Amino acid sequence: MKERPTAQKPREGDQDSRREVAVALTGITKRFGEFAVVDDLNLEIWEGEFFSLLGPSGCGKTTTLRMIAGFENPTEGVISVAGEPVRGVPPYRRPVNTVFQSYAIFPHLNVFDNVAFGLRRARVPKDEIQRRVVEACEMVQLTGFEKRRSAQLSGGQQQRVALARALINRPKVLLLDEPLGALDLKLRKELQLELRNLQHEVGITFVYVTHDQEEALTMSDRIAVMNEGKVQQIADPSTLYELPKNHFVANFIGQINLFSGELESVDGGRVTLRSGEGIKIEALVRNGDTPEIGEQVQAAVRPEKIRFGETGENVCSVGVRQIVYLGVSTQYITEFADGTRLVLYQQNAHDSVGPEVGEQVNVSWDANHCLILGG
Amino acid sequence: MAAKAGGPMQKGVGKLPDRALFLFSLLIYAFLYAPILVLMFFSFNSSKSTQSWTGFSTEWYRALLTDQTIHDAFRTSMIVGVTATLIATAIGTLTALALTRHNFRGQTFADSTIYAATVMPEIVVGVSLLVFFVAVFLPLGVELGIVTIVIAHVAFTVSFVTIVVRARLAGMDESLEEAAQDLGAGPVTTFVRVTLPLILPGVMAGALLAFTLSFDDFVITFFVSGVGSSTLPLKIYSMIKFGVTPVINALSTVVLVVTMILIFGGSRLLSRREGA
Repeated sequence: MKERPTAQKPREGDQDSRREVAVALTGITKRFGEFAVVDDLNLEIWEGEFFSLLGPSGCGKTTTLRMIAGFENPTEGVISVAGEPVRGVPPYRRPVNTVFQSYAIFPHLNVFDNVAFGLRRARVPKDEIQRRVVEACEMVQLTGFEKRRSAQLSGGQQQRVALARALINRPKVLLLDEPLGALDLKLRKELQLELRNLQHEVGITFVYVTHDQEEALTMSDRIAVMNEGKVQQIADPSTLYELPKNHFVANFIGQINLFSGELESVDGGRVTLRSGEGIKIEALVRNGDTPEIGEQVQAAVRPEKIRFGETGENVCSVGVRQIVYLGVSTQYITEFADGTRLVLYQQNAHDSVGPEVGEQVNVSWDANHCLILGG
Repeated sequence: MAAKAGGPMQKGVGKLPDRALFLFSLLIYAFLYAPILVLMFFSFNSSKSTQSWTGFSTEWYRALLTDQTIHDAFRTSMIVGVTATLIATAIGTLTALALTRHNFRGQTFADSTIYAATVMPEIVVGVSLLVFFVAVFLPLGVELGIVTIVIAHVAFTVSFVTIVVRARLAGMDESLEEAAQDLGAGPVTTFVRVTLPLILPGVMAGALLAFTLSFDDFVITFFVSGVGSSTLPLKIYSMIKFGVTPVINALSTVVLVVTMILIFGGSRLLSRREGA
């Protein structure tokens, strides 16, 4: 049995043993000079999955992608694609294709010749090339654009050409380096869903690099959150959001309220923590974590899990400082007596009237929604 | 830029300085091109005089066509130009690729010496090449002549080609080459199918520049040509020793026109945008 990647839920572990591994990175370190851009990275990407590498710029996600593609060699460690180690295999012999951030459409060739480029290198017969290029253009809705040059295409169209050009080769793994980064928001949302559907259709493993957490959550089966060359957590989107492993993940994905304090009591998965002046918080411990009484820890709760009133295990009194209307919801920025901030969201679903700025109100949340973060 | 800042309101105010500037520009142009125009003008003069106009004639151009020594000089110039250009373009393009696409020890040194070579005094290059050829080539049985001229021309044009091609390469997105490799093209295929087509305007411009420099060169060629072989500029120089005749005007006009055509062609290629 394969070694399990840092899976969060037992369910994932079961899946793992059934699925084939498309890309495996074992102990990958990449140094430029003294600086480790990627530091002892271990990843298993499963066949047919939409896997995202998510992190701020400089976290090593693009370098990781370029090592899988073969443009960079790892300083240490082994990369395997479809079970075969690829050390020393040049990019043009690897069963992977890349969609570049800049699209890298050949400006001296038209759309047809761009898309056909890979098949021509593989010496595919002419009539088959013709058929497959037409198919590929159809798949990305570029029919009729075959004779155009890249200069005559919009950003979104160039992105589709890049996609068709890569997918037509039927790679084992498709690598995408922030392919939607240069597009405007609306088009980006559209293409996110389109990409996701396309991936389901073709069933090819996608490895997607992005710094946009929302994009990663929307599209991925699983996400590896990276920071400073290290993987912080690998999980499916909802686990990442609901059960972040540490401070970095909690903060990078969505908004979160953090309380620092000392553990007062530990009862199985339930703990109590004393934070600041008079704030006593009941919280949940992640599977496998074993905190001890007296330990300094951080508890985290998402803004949308907090409500006005006294209906949860954790009840606090806060002063409303600022109200921001966000359309679908309203954001309340509140403060404890000691100045600690607490942000909460209320859906704008009903005609309910919220508190005003300056009011002192009670807020509450369930212990189930409050998580003790690991270091 | 300055005209835009003024706007229509200021048109009257700017009129006098504008006119003065125009006149000044005109004078600069006259200074640059009047001697050449005079030379071309008198190449069509019917009398032997190069000072007074007596009537239109193409006599001197006909004289050019019938003079066997001029034919030979032209032939030598063409052979030297074409051969040196081909060699210099190949070497210069590869040098540019090495300098932009690879990191190696001594890169900065290589870089600066290539730029330095373009401003090296020609007389120094000429003398040093002569000394070199006499010391190294003569013992090997290679006489001064067309071979040494070609080698000398390659030596002084190669850095110009490198600089021109390099500018083109610097403006090219490197991920295009990565994309080609990613799609299964090996290094050679990537160069032939992607890199070369994209830098071709730069390579052609470099080649035209190299040919122009070779075709016009006098100083360096003068040192390394030896006896038997003479290029057009050397021929003109030797003819002048026996007095200025309209034939020289005609010959100079021909050299000038060829050069101008090449330079215009080169600058058009250089201004061509990627993918156009």
